[in-house]
Amino acid sequence: MQLKDELAKSDRLLTETGHMFGLKTLARKEADPGNYEALWQILLNVCGMAWTVGCKVSSSPVAVEGGDALWSIHLPTGEAVATSRGIVSHPGLLSLLIRKYIESDYESMPGFHPGDIFENNDPHFGGIHSPDFQTVIPIHFEGELIAWAASVSHVMDAGSVLPGAISFMNPDSFSDGIPFTMERVGENDRFYPWYAKRIQSRTRIPELVIGDSRGRLAGCLTIRDRLMEVVEKFGADFFKEAMREYIEDSRRYAVTRVRTQTIPGRIRKSAFKDLAMKGKRVIMPDQDADYLMNLNQEITIDADARIRFSLRGASAWVPFGENITPDAIVSALLNGFSHMVGFDMFNWGTVAAWDLETPPEGSWANPYPANYFAASGLAWAPAVLWLSSLYESLGRLYYARGFVEEVAAGGATTMVGEFAGENQYGVYTIGQTLEQASNGSPARAIGDGENGAWSIYTPNADFGNAEITEFFYPILYLGRNLEPDSGGFGKFRGGLGHTVVWMVKNTPGIEYICGCAGLRSKIIPNHGMFGAYPTPPDRPSYARGTNVKALIDARKPLVHERGDPEDPTLARNIEAEDLQTDVIAPFATGDILKEHDLIIQPVSGSQAFGDPIERDPENVREDLERSWTRERLARDVYGVVAHRDEDDHWTVDAGATEKARAEIRQERKKRGVPFKNWWRAERKRVEASEGMSSAVTNMWRTSMELTPEYGQELRAFWKLPDDFCFETKEAEK
Amino acid sequence: MSEYNPHEIRRLVDGELPWLRVQEIMRSPKDANRLLVWIEIQQERVDWNERILLPLTPALFIVESGARRVVKCRCGFEFGDDYRVNWKLEALIYVHEDRESLDRIYRGIDQPDPDWIQLREYSCPGCGTQLEVEAVPRGCPPDFEFLPDLDTFYRDWLGTPLPDTRTFEDKTLSEIARWEV
Repeated sequence: MQLKDELAKSDRLLTETGHMFGLKTLARKEADPGNYEALWQILLNVCGMAWTVGCKVSSSPVAVEGGDALWSIHLPTGEAVATSRGIVSHPGLLSLLIRKYIESDYESMPGFHPGDIFENNDPHFGGIHSPDFQTVIPIHFEGELIAWAASVSHVMDAGSVLPGAISFMNPDSFSDGIPFTMERVGENDRFYPWYAKRIQSRTRIPELVIGDSRGRLAGCLTIRDRLMEVVEKFGADFFKEAMREYIEDSRRYAVTRVRTQTIPGRIRKSAFKDLAMKGKRVIMPDQDADYLMNLNQEITIDADARIRFSLRGASAWVPFGENITPDAIVSALLNGFSHMVGFDMFNWGTVAAWDLETPPEGSWANPYPANYFAASGLAWAPAVLWLSSLYESLGRLYYARGFVEEVAAGGATTMVGEFAGENQYGVYTIGQTLEQASNGSPARAIGDGENGAWSIYTPNADFGNAEITEFFYPILYLGRNLEPDSGGFGKFRGGLGHTVVWMVKNTPGIEYICGCAGLRSKIIPNHGMFGAYPTPPDRPSYARGTNVKALIDARKPLVHERGDPEDPTLARNIEAEDLQTDVIAPFATGDILKEHDLIIQPVSGSQAFGDPIERDPENVREDLERSWTRERLARDVYGVVAHRDEDDHWTVDAGATEKARAEIRQERKKRGVPFKNWWRAERKRVEASEGMSSAVTNMWRTSMELTPEYGQELRAFWKLPDDFCFETKEAEK
Repeated sequence: MSEYNPHEIRRLVDGELPWLRVQEIMRSPKDANRLLVWIEIQQERVDWNERILLPLTPALFIVESGARRVVKCRCGFEFGDDYRVNWKLEALIYVHEDRESLDRIYRGIDQPDPDWIQLREYSCPGCGTQLEVEAVPRGCPPDFEFLPDLDTFYRDWLGTPLPDTRTFEDKTLSEIARWEV
């Protein structure tokens, strides 16, 4: 039977029986549970070994130092069975990519032969964005294709219109860079010569890009070699049947967990993302505008514990690299689902436990029906923020059912600093650090989030060693500190993020790009779970043409932290030709930063849980002691009155705190208005678009157009005329 | 399935268990009677007698109040007559929509742009508890975060049907339709 026919059969059996591959019983698991579990652990270890080998063979620091890659084992028909750690957003995409090879009849031409190497980075055909290179190789045993090894790594430059790999600025797919569209790029375990030549002429740092290709291949070959031993040991029949059972096992686990830990019903969570680019350096005229993106999430759970995800209301595609395909959203969901629902056996089986309603055609989440050439240079950007809502949404269900230990508030944002220019060795380089892979974690229902220890896209939260980063790039770390008040404010606060201070050093000059991989800079997240306040916006700073050298010579204070948001240390301590303490991200200024110029890059914390004035005053005191919060916030937001003594220790005034909290409650009752009264006044403002920026009205207009029933509901809520629509507005400024 | 002493669940809920023990509980299969214990804990901590059908938030519960199922605050305040209408329609709302009012929470470079976002605080008219906060652009209807299908839950998932049934539908817009502009 051809793989195409097997695929069709599997799909039919799932539809008919509700079980992956029609497996109503897990025969191998039941008959031989010891070997079933042993093989599973071996598969995980094989993937882990591939990750270790692959990362070390790779060249770019994000793989070598940060492990920003993944390896996985798949069934012949593509379904992921086991994966390594690393960027776990990808096994779904790799599964769908192999499926696309099969559906496109590659089995007939060019065929799947031992030693073949296939690659893709094209979002039109199962990729996510051009810098994420996907490699898959078929694995044969005694002439039969019995599995695939797959890998993805995030290369540092994909030849997009601007240097780097956080390519938010790409206006269209033509600017997304070098494409590998479902290609066979090698055979007999070697890349074709023209593969390297294309990378050489179409990326800016080919030696790193090719080095990463070797890393992916090395990991895949490691999987293949080890699996040969595994199949010999367990027997081909056991191997093949157990591989399928792991996937059905995972599906069952996910369904059971939903049924035993959640509640049927409907969850709604609005979310938005700003992309304020008016007046900034852009590539094409239509990019000189401000955009707000609607990332609405609706989840329904039916009587059979089946989950349906919807993005109804998603706004239109944008002329930037922040559009994503439905396939990639499936993969992103697999990642989020693994965090919040099923993490015993992380594989494709979980996907069969839920449905994703096709996102609105022409939206950022399904752009191609409206614009086949929409860019996706940093497709993850809106998706990870949409995914952040999944944490809070499911957290609410776990809370309602009493599983407080599983609750998480919303996630953090992702902002990335990139550099391009000549490094300390006289070589042109492009790079990014992995600071963003170390956010604070979401608050729980029983405690604060962890500081600097979480990332939405990888469980391998690791910002890498500063010294190694300095080894690769012409920068020195002046500071890397937990950022006070960078998590949301609540009874339990979000884990704190951190801020880095970089000084440019040993280079004729570098370009600094503050890239969007899921940041918010004008707005804040809609994550006020149970009365908490969301995290502040992402605001980087930089200083060009500084007096830092003179300050160093005079042994005067420099900058080691961001400082008070009302009085940033950069502005207080540094003089510069161009001093920017409050920049709306993302941006690529094009200005060259030179010796002793400074960059301050914050990494956000995650979201909080509960009314802040219910936070234990002792926890606020501890935060004050550690400089994790400030006195003003302790007083105004947490209602805690505390005093610092001569030894810099804090004491809470219990009586004054109780009084302050009582006053805050009274103030809320006094200044709060009945909802209906507010609604009456507000609906008039909405109808008149009063106080609504062009980004806001343009977003609502496209959301209402692309999902008419969403538009009708919005009109009905505000009692607007049936034909009401927001008019297109030009951006202000 | 695991089984826990209700006292240990109380300590878990109150954040008093050592983190390592919490991790053990997270790793283990879940206890089948958690909801009952959870509701029992919540029920004994409020001063009113209506049966809690489902805790929604630390302050809000769906309760059986005579023939009604309503959202009720731990202080006793009831939000309307039907849990299928977004309870926010009966809450107090305060909106931070300019820089001066945002200063209370976010200052300097930590402040969002009020032309792009409203910070809405929903509070209980009875006790002043801040129940939810929304950060959304003007025009966004309030999130109806969770509308449970209570009858399916109790009948099909728990096997203990409620005495009478309600259709599973969002009645918020029906309520709005009755409002005078």
